[in-house]
Amino acid sequence: MNAIILSAIFGIVMMLSSAFVKNTKAYKSIALVGLILLLLANICETYSHAWLNIPTFDMLEFSRFGLYFNTLAIACTILFSAFSQREIERVGRYIGEYFALIFFVLCGIFILSSYNNLLMLFIGIEIMSIPLYILTGARKENLKSNEASLKYFLMGSFSTGILLMGIALVYGGTGDFALVHHGQDISTSIAGAMNKRMSFLDVAGMILILTGMCFKVSAAPFHFWAPDIYDGSPSVFTSFMATIVKAGAFIAFIRLFAIREEETTILENAIIGVDWKMLFSIIIVATLLFGNITAIFQQSVKRMLAYSSIAQAGFMLFSLLSLNDTAKEGLLLYVVAYSVATIGLFGILAKMKDYTLAGYNGMAKSHPTLAFANAIFLLSLSGIPLTIGFFAKYYMLMAVIQTGGYMWVAIVGVIFAVISVFYYFRVIWSMYFKEGTVELKYPVTKGFKILAVVMALIIILLGAFPQVILNFLYF
Amino acid sequence: MNLAYLVPLFPLVGFLINGLFRKQLSKQAVTLVGCGALLASFIVSLVLFCDVKTGGAATRAYFDFINVADFKIPFAFQVDQLTALFLLIITGVGFLIHVYSSAYMHEETSDHFARYFAYLNLFVFSMLLLVMGANFLIMFIGWEGVGLCSYLLIGYWFKNNQFNYAARKAFVMNRIGDLGFLVALFWILARAGTLTYSELFTPAMLAKFSQADITAITLLLFVGATGKSAQIPLYTWLPDAMAGPTPVSALIHAATMVTAGIYMIARSHLLYSLAPFTNQIIAIIGVATAVFAASIALKQNDIKKVLAYSTVSQLGYMFLGLGVGAYGGAVFHVMTHAFFKALLFLGAGSVIHAMGGQQDSRYMGGLKKYMPVTHITFLLACLAIAGVPPFSGFFSKDEILAAAYASSPVLYYFGVLGALFTAFYMFRIYAMTFLGDFRGTHDQEHHLHESPKAMTIPLSILAVLAVVAGFVGIPALFAPHAHLLENFLAPVFSDLPEHAEHLSHGTEWMLMGVTTILVIVSIVWAWKKFSSYQLDASEPSGIGKVLANKWYVDEIYDAVIAKPLLKFSGFLKNIIDKRVIDGIVNGTGRFVQYTSRQLRLVQSGQVGGYILMMVLSLVVLFVAFWNQAYILRFIHWIFK
Amino acid sequence: MLSSHIMAAAPVAAQHASSYLPIALQIVFAIGFVALMIFVSALLGPKRKTNDKLANFTSGITTHGNARQPMAIKYFLIAILFVLFDVEVIFFYPYAVNFKSLSWTGFYEILLFVGLFLIGFVYIIKKRALKWED
Repeated sequence: MNAIILSAIFGIVMMLSSAFVKNTKAYKSIALVGLILLLLANICETYSHAWLNIPTFDMLEFSRFGLYFNTLAIACTILFSAFSQREIERVGRYIGEYFALIFFVLCGIFILSSYNNLLMLFIGIEIMSIPLYILTGARKENLKSNEASLKYFLMGSFSTGILLMGIALVYGGTGDFALVHHGQDISTSIAGAMNKRMSFLDVAGMILILTGMCFKVSAAPFHFWAPDIYDGSPSVFTSFMATIVKAGAFIAFIRLFAIREEETTILENAIIGVDWKMLFSIIIVATLLFGNITAIFQQSVKRMLAYSSIAQAGFMLFSLLSLNDTAKEGLLLYVVAYSVATIGLFGILAKMKDYTLAGYNGMAKSHPTLAFANAIFLLSLSGIPLTIGFFAKYYMLMAVIQTGGYMWVAIVGVIFAVISVFYYFRVIWSMYFKEGTVELKYPVTKGFKILAVVMALIIILLGAFPQVILNFLYF
Repeated sequence: MNLAYLVPLFPLVGFLINGLFRKQLSKQAVTLVGCGALLASFIVSLVLFCDVKTGGAATRAYFDFINVADFKIPFAFQVDQLTALFLLIITGVGFLIHVYSSAYMHEETSDHFARYFAYLNLFVFSMLLLVMGANFLIMFIGWEGVGLCSYLLIGYWFKNNQFNYAARKAFVMNRIGDLGFLVALFWILARAGTLTYSELFTPAMLAKFSQADITAITLLLFVGATGKSAQIPLYTWLPDAMAGPTPVSALIHAATMVTAGIYMIARSHLLYSLAPFTNQIIAIIGVATAVFAASIALKQNDIKKVLAYSTVSQLGYMFLGLGVGAYGGAVFHVMTHAFFKALLFLGAGSVIHAMGGQQDSRYMGGLKKYMPVTHITFLLACLAIAGVPPFSGFFSKDEILAAAYASSPVLYYFGVLGALFTAFYMFRIYAMTFLGDFRGTHDQEHHLHESPKAMTIPLSILAVLAVVAGFVGIPALFAPHAHLLENFLAPVFSDLPEHAEHLSHGTEWMLMGVTTILVIVSIVWAWKKFSSYQLDASEPSGIGKVLANKWYVDEIYDAVIAKPLLKFSGFLKNIIDKRVIDGIVNGTGRFVQYTSRQLRLVQSGQVGGYILMMVLSLVVLFVAFWNQAYILRFIHWIFK
Repeated sequence: MLSSHIMAAAPVAAQHASSYLPIALQIVFAIGFVALMIFVSALLGPKRKTNDKLANFTSGITTHGNARQPMAIKYFLIAILFVLFDVEVIFFYPYAVNFKSLSWTGFYEILLFVGLFLIGFVYIIKKRALKWED
C-alpha cells in the first residue's frame, strides 16, 4: 500500500511542481528524490512496516513476491531516470508532466502486482496504459510520434475492451470478481468456481482476458502495435515502455494464472483438457517466431530492439507456461536482466544521430566505453554465460522442463535463442569490426559513461552471482 | 587460520595495482608493490605455518562457488601441514625471486616492467589458490591460472616469434594434461558427488569407488601431473619454456609450478595408495624421465637448457618417490629442489646478465674471478643437486632412492644412474662456465661484472638454504626421530598403511655409501674433463649427436602426432566443414532471412489490418483451445 | 478421455438451449414486427421531395459555409475539462443519499476526493488552460 499511495502522491507533487517551480533543472531532482523515497517505503513494507494501510476489503493483496517485484521495478525506474534524465528533458517542454506520468504508470504497476480482484486488474491496466498514450505522443511536433500515440490509443482501447468483455464473462460465469477470498470458503471466488468445472462463459472469458493481457505484454499474435509504437515514440519512453511497463504487465498476467494454478490440481482441470498450457505454448512459439525472425531483417537498431523486445517477451511467457516457483524466480531474474540491458541500450541509442546499424560502425574506436557497455548489454540479451541474461533464460527453460510434457517448447525456445544471437551480435560486429565514425547527436557526459559501465558491471556481477537477487525473495 | 585468505589476497591486489596502473606507476613503485605483496604473503604464511604446527590443519569456507540444486562446491581454503610447507616455499622463494627480478628486469621500459610484475603476482596468486584450495575445483582454478601465467611469461618478450611458439607449445602440452585432470574430476564427481578433500578422502567415501574407477581416476590425474610437471611424454615444453626471463624460469619452471603435479598426487595420496598399478606406472615413468632427461642434459651447451632438463630429471625423482609410496620424501625433495634449483637458475641469470644475454656456455669460461658471489653460490647449488653430503640434495635424494630400493632394486639402479648423470652434467656446466679461460668476445669481457646487490643477496640466502635445508630431514639412520619434516608432515600422511618392508640399517649405509662414492667419482671426472675446456665447434657424432638433439623427441612428436593431425584437420576443414557443415549452416541462415523478409510484410502499419489480425488470432485461439488434445497429439507426433 | 468429457457436456447444453426457445421466438417476432412496420409505412406513406427538405436545418437562418472547418483547440480543451468536472459531480449523488449513514468517515473521504479535484483545478489554472487569449 505504501508504494501505491506514495506513487500517486508523488505524481501529483510532480504535477504541481511543474505548475509552480520555474527551474526546469529541478524536476529531475525532485523526481529522483521521490523515486528513492518510494523505494525505501516499499522496502519498508517488504519488511512489514506498512505505514499507509487502508482496508482494501480483499481487493488488493500484498504478497512478498509482488512487493519484491515493486522494489525491482522502482530500482529499474531509478536507473532509467538517472541514465536518461537528459533525454527526458530533451523530449519537450513539459518535463514535470513526463515525470508525473511516469509516477502514475508506476502506480498502475503497483496495483497490478497486488490485485486480487478483476476490477483492480482493469483499473491497474488503465492507470498504467493511459499515461503511456500521452508519453508516446510526447514529441508533439513530430508526426511519427503523433501517429504512434494515436495507434497505440486505438489498439490499446480495443484490447482493453476485449479485456473488459472477458472480465464481464468471467463474472457472468462465476458470479464473482475476486480471485480468492481470504479466510472464506474457496468455492466462493473465481479460483474456486473454476476449480470445479469451467463453464463456457468462464473459458471464453478467460480467453478474452488472456488476449487482452497478451496485447499488453506484446505477445504474438497481438504484438502488432509494438514495433510501430516503439519505433515512433521518443527513445527514452520506448525504453521505459519496453522494460518496466512490460514487466508490470507480466506480473499481472502471472498473478492471474498462478492463483488459478495454486488452487487447482491437474486432475480437476481435466474437463478442459490440458488446461491453458496449450494456448500458452502456441502464443510462445508465435511470439518467438515473429519477434526473432522479423528482428533479423531490421536495419534500424531501434526497430530491431523493438522486435527483440517481443522475442524477449516470448521467453518471459515461459513462466506462464510452467507457473512453478522456478518460473517466478526466473521471471524476476528476467525482469532485471532484460530491463537493465534494454534501458542501457536505449539510453545510448538516444544519444546517437543515426539509429541504423551503420550508425554503430566503429563505435569501439571512437567511444570505447559506450561500445563496451553496449556489448555487455547485447551479450546479456542474447543470453551468453557470465551475464545475468544467461541465468534468466536458464531459469525459464528449467522451469518449463520441470513442468514436464512441454519439452518441445523448450527446444523451440533454445533454437530461437540461437537465432537471436545473430541480430544481437550484428550490432557488436558493427561496433568492433567495422570502420566508421559514430556521430553523437548529444554530448556524452562523464557521469553517463560511468553509469553505463556500472550497469554493465551489474549485469556481469549478477551473472556471476544470480542468487543475490533471489535471496531477497525468500527470507 | 583466520588470516588464510590474506595469503592469496596480497598478490592479487599486487596484480591489480600493477596491472591496472602499469602506465602510471614508476619502476620503484612497481617493485615496492610487487615485492611488498609477496613479503606480506610470506609473513602471513609464517604465521599460518606456526598455527598449523601447534594447532593442526583447518578449513575455512568463504562462500559457495557453485550452488545448483543439491550440488554445492564451496570456495574454501584448507591449510594443513602439506599446504603450509608449500606456502612457505612459494611465498619465500617467490619473494626472493621478486627482489632478484627487480634488478634483472631493470632494462625494460616501465610499463613492460609493471606488466612483468603483474604477471608474476598473478602467478603467485594462482599457485596459492592451487595449494590452498580445499577441493579439487579450487585447485583446478589455480592449476589453470598458473598455466596461463606460465604462458604469458614464457611469451613475455612477445616480439620474438620463437618465444611465442614456445609459449604456445607449453600451453598446448599443458592443456593435454589438463584434459586428463578434468576428466578425472568429472569422474570423481560422478562417483562421489563431491570434490572436497575432507569429504572425499575418507575410507567410507573411497569404498564407493570400484578398483577400475580408482585406477582410471588416478591414471587420469597422473596424466594431468605429467603435463604440468613435465614428465614423459609431455615434458618437451619445459626446455622450450626457457624462452621466458630467467627469474621466471626459476620461479615457475623450477621451484613452484612444475611441482604442482607432485602436490596434487601427494594431496590425493589416499586414493593412490589404493591403486598399486598406477603407482607402478608413476614410478617407472618417474625414473625413466629422470634418466632420460639427465642423459639429454649431458650434451646440452645452453646453460638454461641444461638446467631445464635437470629440472625435468629431478621432477622424475619426485615422481619416483611418489610411485614407491615415499610421499614425505617426494615433498622433501620438492622443498630442497626449490632452493637449489631456484639458486641455479638465478645464478645462471646472473651469468647471462653479465654476459649480455649470452647463454651458450661454450662461449663463457673463467667467470670465477669476475663474479665471486655468483660462482660460490652456483658451486654450492651444484654440490646440493649432485647429492654430495651434507648438502640438502643428498638427504632428499637419498630418501627417495632408499624407498625405491625397498620397492624394487631395478628402480634404484636406474635412479643411481640418473644421479651420476646429474652430477656429471652439473659439474660439466659449472666447469665450462666458471673455470678455464674466458672464451667470449672482448666486448663481453670488458663488461663482465658482479651483479647488483638485489641479485646477489637472494642468491646468498638461497645458497644458505640449499646447504642447510637438508638437515630438517636427517634419516633415522643417523639419529632416530631427527627427521623434523617427516614428523611435521606426519598428520597428513598418517592415514596411509604402514610400509611393510623397512630396510635394515646395514643396507641403508651400503646404499648411501655406494651412491655417494659414485657421485663423487663422477664429479671429479667431469671437473677434470671440462675445467680446461677449449672451444670445439665440431658437431658431435654417434650417441652424442642423438643426445645433443634430445633423442629427436620433438621430431618424432611432429611426425607421429602433429603432421597426421594437421592432415586430418585439413580434410575436416576442406571437405566436411566447407561442403557439409557450411552448407547446412548457410542454408539455415538463408531460410531464416527469407522468412524474415516475408514476415516483415505483415507489419503494414495499418491499424485496421492489425485489429483484423488480432481478431482472427482470437478466433484461432478459441478454436485451438477446444481442440488442444488433437494439436498436442500432432505436436508429439512431430517431436517423437 | 478428453473428448468423452466434451461429449458428456453436449446434451446438458442442448437441454438448456431448448428452454430458451420461447425467448428466441419472442426476439424473432419482435424484430420481424419492427421490420415489417418500417417496410409497410415506407410503402404506404405519402412522399413529397423538395430542395428545402434536403437542406440542413439551422434554426431558420440560411446556411453559409462548410461545417468541416478547423476549430480552435481551446474549444476541445474546455469541453473536455467541463465533462471531467461534470462527471465527477455525479459521484456526489450517491454520497448525498448516504450522507447520514456514512457519517464522519464518509465526510473525510469525500473531502479527500474534493481535495484532489481542487489540486487538479489549481493545476489547470496555473497551466492557464482556461485562459482564452494567449
